[in-house]
Amino acid sequence: MDRIEILRQINIIFAELLDNQNIQITEATVAYDIEDWDSLMHLQLAVAIEKNFEVRFNLQEIQSWVGVKDIIDSVVQRLN
Amino acid sequence: MITFNLEVILNKIQDRNLHHAVKLRNNTHDLGDLYHHKASLFLKKYEAYLQREGENIDFGINRYLIMLETMLQERIQFIKTGQYSNTSFEEVEKSVYANPEAMVSHMHGLVLAQFLWPDQYTRFLFFSTNFHKYFNDFCTYLEIGGGHGLYLNEAIELFPQARQFDLVDISQSSIDLAKGIIDNDRVNYYHKNVYDFDENEYNFITMGEVLEHVEDPLGLLTKTVSLLSPNGVCYITTPINSPMLDHIYLFNDEEEIRTLFHSAGLQIIEEKIAISDNKSTTYAKKNKTPVMYAAFLKKI
Repeated sequence: MDRIEILRQINIIFAELLDNQNIQITEATVAYDIEDWDSLMHLQLAVAIEKNFEVRFNLQEIQSWVGVKDIIDSVVQRLN
Repeated sequence: MITFNLEVILNKIQDRNLHHAVKLRNNTHDLGDLYHHKASLFLKKYEAYLQREGENIDFGINRYLIMLETMLQERIQFIKTGQYSNTSFEEVEKSVYANPEAMVSHMHGLVLAQFLWPDQYTRFLFFSTNFHKYFNDFCTYLEIGGGHGLYLNEAIELFPQARQFDLVDISQSSIDLAKGIIDNDRVNYYHKNVYDFDENEYNFITMGEVLEHVEDPLGLLTKTVSLLSPNGVCYITTPINSPMLDHIYLFNDEEEIRTLFHSAGLQIIEEKIAISDNKSTTYAKKNKTPVMYAAFLKKI
């Protein structure tokens, strides 16, 4: 799975979690850019991404994510 | 020398966990002068206790950050399963309450959380600003599961001449911490399971964040009511959707708590609800965000 497809699927997860079907994230999006992306949402996101891509992350890795690029890096690493 | 300063604590947390420190600053920056006054009074006592124990505030901050890490693990588990990871009191008693290392660490973490988390401060403020309506110098006070002693300490600060202050707790580590911080000879401490406690009837009973630690909260409330004088008042708090290492009873919403109070023969006089991180009710329901519930109650 390439980064563009991973980004597309993560975008769907964001849209569902934030109840916003119009949301458009990019690899450059960071938590600061999205108002509701706080620590609780961060964990919801991590669990949803684990489920969607059938991968597991450790807490340290989840806490190190600053933005979408970090999430995609983690997913790519797991899928490869 | 006591050097307490909330900013010092936040800076120390920032050195270890920048994101969390930013969140704490955002959540506490506009809580006002009373917040700083109350936080300063209690945390100075805490720091004095740490010094008497040969420690300093770094010890408390380390414990707080460890607790935070454990809490995040529990939250992830909760998001996945919708359940708390522990459901047995016996297991939690072995792993936490009767394990001084785990208990001390957890309790120290909770001390700082009382003033770093706005929902915790909200319930404390609710107690502090309304306690005088239900208590006076002729009254007797009991605290069940006193934790770090914040509420008992506040009761003594507000009514230093009151007739009696008692605390009963199942954990010796918790009693030692409360005793050390409160540092007041007027308090009687009982290391007992509350079910084995039959000292008296009390005019006022505080039971903060205890119901979620037991398998049978109705049984505990019934016992609490039996310790309350006919016209007595109690102050009870418990969280909703709040996974922690030692939480075993899950309340899904505030209505479940109200129903339980009614079943135990208690009537709500006034209540307070605070959602973690100041989220909206809709958001909290959808995402099972932790909610703090507190109420003053009397017998029906």
